[in-house]
Amino acid sequence: MLLNLQNILPSIVPESCLLILVGLLLGGIIFGAQEKSPPVMNSDVFFLYLLPPIVLDAGYFMPTRLFFENFGTIFWYAVVGTLWNAIGIGISLFGICQISAFGLTDITLLQNLLFGSLISAVDPVAVLAVFENIHVNEQLYILVFGESLLNDAITVVLYNLFKSFCQMRTIKIVDIFAGIANFFIVGIGGVLIGILLGFVAAFTTRFTHKIRVIEPLFVFLYSYLSYITAEMFHLSGIMAITACAMTMNKYVEENVSQKSYTTIKYFMKMLSSVSETLIFIFMGVSTVGKNHEWNWAFVSFTLLFCLIWRALGVFVLTQIINVFRTIPLTFKDQFIIAYGGLRGAICFSLVFLLPPAVFPRKKLFITAVIVVIFFTVFIQGITIRPLVEFLDVKRSNKKQPAVSEEIYNRFFDHVKTGIEDVCGHWGHNFWRDKFKKFDNKYLRRLLIRENQPKSSIVSLYKKLEIKHAIEMAESGMISKVPSSASLSENHEGKIKPLSPTEMENMREILTKNLYQIRHRTMSYNRHSLAADANEKQAKEILIRRRHSLRESLRKTNSLSRERPAAANTKRFLSLPKNTKLPEKLRVRNKTSSRVGDSSDSEMDAATTVLNLRPRAGKILRDQREKQQRPLPEFRMEWKNEVDGKQDGGEAHQEPSGQPQPSVGFRQPLLTRPRFGTLTGEDLPTDHRSTRPMPPPRLVRQASQGERQRNKPENQPY
Amino acid sequence: KNSCWQVILKEGTVEPKQIGWRKNKPDKIILPYLSPIRQLLCNLFPISHSQITRLYSRFTSLDKGENGTLSCGAVRSILNYFKFSLPARSVIREDFQRIPELAINPLGDRIINAFFPEGEDQVNFRGFMRTLAHFRPIEDNEKSKDQNGPEPLNSRSNKLHFAFRLYDLDKDDKISRDELLQVLRMMVGVNISDEQLGSIADRTIQEADQDGDSAISFAEFVKVLEKVDVEQKMSIRFLH
Repeated sequence: MLLNLQNILPSIVPESCLLILVGLLLGGIIFGAQEKSPPVMNSDVFFLYLLPPIVLDAGYFMPTRLFFENFGTIFWYAVVGTLWNAIGIGISLFGICQISAFGLTDITLLQNLLFGSLISAVDPVAVLAVFENIHVNEQLYILVFGESLLNDAITVVLYNLFKSFCQMRTIKIVDIFAGIANFFIVGIGGVLIGILLGFVAAFTTRFTHKIRVIEPLFVFLYSYLSYITAEMFHLSGIMAITACAMTMNKYVEENVSQKSYTTIKYFMKMLSSVSETLIFIFMGVSTVGKNHEWNWAFVSFTLLFCLIWRALGVFVLTQIINVFRTIPLTFKDQFIIAYGGLRGAICFSLVFLLPPAVFPRKKLFITAVIVVIFFTVFIQGITIRPLVEFLDVKRSNKKQPAVSEEIYNRFFDHVKTGIEDVCGHWGHNFWRDKFKKFDNKYLRRLLIRENQPKSSIVSLYKKLEIKHAIEMAESGMISKVPSSASLSENHEGKIKPLSPTEMENMREILTKNLYQIRHRTMSYNRHSLAADANEKQAKEILIRRRHSLRESLRKTNSLSRERPAAANTKRFLSLPKNTKLPEKLRVRNKTSSRVGDSSDSEMDAATTVLNLRPRAGKILRDQREKQQRPLPEFRMEWKNEVDGKQDGGEAHQEPSGQPQPSVGFRQPLLTRPRFGTLTGEDLPTDHRSTRPMPPPRLVRQASQGERQRNKPENQPY
Repeated sequence: KNSCWQVILKEGTVEPKQIGWRKNKPDKIILPYLSPIRQLLCNLFPISHSQITRLYSRFTSLDKGENGTLSCGAVRSILNYFKFSLPARSVIREDFQRIPELAINPLGDRIINAFFPEGEDQVNFRGFMRTLAHFRPIEDNEKSKDQNGPEPLNSRSNKLHFAFRLYDLDKDDKISRDELLQVLRMMVGVNISDEQLGSIADRTIQEADQDGDSAISFAEFVKVLEKVDVEQKMSIRFLH
């Protein structure tokens, strides 16, 4: 039964709840043993040591593309939403305090506003901890999570603003404006510091290929440095470290070795797990003790107002922002956003930071904050999952699902994902393109090292390509391979009905082996890195494509060996990848390439060319020499090719001594891999043109897919 | 006004000028928001007006390559040298294959094929939109109106037909065991042996087949999936 509990518990109760309970237990023990309050979590300790790793982890693994696509909404919720909450809670609490029956009349408006501002801070730690359990769509996830990160700026500003107002005698209008201006400075300043240090980190890693072992250290050092620097200038440290992590991620990932990258990931996860655990335990410990003052009215109304204002705020804001969004937020989304606004350790620490001289009722505030935190983490954390499922009413079928259903479901999911990818999902974005241009032109040149290390899928891809090419060249395509045609032997005889166990078996086999849908963004998980499974899957798919392409090539080749017209198709290799082929050429190409599923015409060309040039090794060596060939010369060659075609293809059978025209474009003679270019393992490569577009990058971070796509097109035009 | 859309719908190709493409900023499209046009479009293609803008720019980006400012002029001048005219905007298979996410999608090739009409190697914007129109979510208010008009492309039946075509390569309106095996093989890892896969395929056919021909016809396909929420599974929210 205990084991049973172990399985059920984590899915019902979010881990944060359990940790707080452990903390409570611990605190109780200490209290009981020593008869005085246990050590309260020092705010310094929290802000300086415990919080940065968590935010760093979140920022590093943040799906940047998704984040920026939704940036407007996130910003809107973070800024306006937090302001709304803070002021709303503050004023309504002040209203409550005016009622003398509750004995709270000595709390001024400003104090209430300050309290409102610190309690409205949605906490990324708590949000993350709870959202791991419920699987919401990634857009929703990024909204809540992004909001919780960004609202740190607002919280810091409001908190400091009201705190200083509380301590001032009179408040002038200009002070209020200064406060507003302060917000911008704090937020933007923090981000700038983060970005700056992110660039410095990326630049540093450019030169670290001799000292790979300490590469991870730079990542952590620079991010922490950004946090400390921002805090030193009274700017928003959280925004700084988030910006730093996001910036670093893009460039550092390409500079460091595979092993360093893995180290960084795992170490980051480890640190953030430890921090999170400590935070929650501390919260539990600090609860037990003598720092409390209980006042029914204040506490309950605080809780009530938090919930009400959050719900109202989300609702109203969503109505406004839906006008500008392409994908409007449904009611279910709104509910999750509102209900998912959990408070956590940040409010807790901020309340401990209140100067007791100015706030005689500090203990009351502490009590109220603790109650709110406990309520949100426990009650909301536990109930959010059943509520989400309840809202998601599906027409569920109680019948035992057929074996085929899983197949069909997965089939549909793959199709849907594929079409989404074709659409580019959220479409084109002017600013993003501009940034990408700038990025490619200046930043990447500066920050990323040439001579890139290769990741496993990339090397695999290259190996396959070379193997394929050499095989083609040398064997002359004689050897047979069991093709998929062998699967289609006539199946005689009746299909016998299967017993239930056999059905179960089948279903099990399918569940385990059907490919997963590619997640556009890795669903963020504090405790695990899901990348490896996807990599393996991507590898398999790639290999299989190679096989099927090879087969279709074999078929093509056996068909077209006699056709002289096929020789013309080799011209396409020399064209830049995105030249619009005139109609005539395309039509001719079509006839020779209509075999098999895939219609990669360049592959056909590759075959036929290979027929003429059996020595793949020499080809590769030739290509190496052609790396440096400047563009105009290439153009000339291309022109010659086409001219030659006009006279009839045969003349071009053996452009002997002439360098392969395709090479001028730094593309391999052999194939036109759709991911970019392929070179020999040890060729010195210019990273821009020969950069393969490795799927694992995709798996790690979807946003890179777009950039990779960009590469082959960035030819020196 | 009306004419620019009718050009897209009728002729299938479009000159940038005709849809308000601004000369100096080729990456931005300015489309007038006119509700009668939207109505017209919604009747013919169930896709909303604002999405057309988006999809058009995506289409052209596929067409030219990712970077929108790749100098068309340079390409054009080369081709002009040889007296070839720039063909009307259309995409070929290679352009789709440039999308890296599709490369690691098990059904990537099939999906790409679905965009291209029978026997053709290129697709223009109209064809592109036509395929995507299948994936528009079905709205409640659409269900009741216009029972006697042509069925919209995103009806359940048309969605299922689209999926059926992905299986049925030889277009004989039946999914044979071989075709099913091919798709299964694409979707499944390397740990399943051929025999196991064969028996799974057999089982699948057996569950669907009603007339005993060891193949799944479209009607049988629809019947098997009657309890599956196809409308939701084959809808992309952003095409709303």
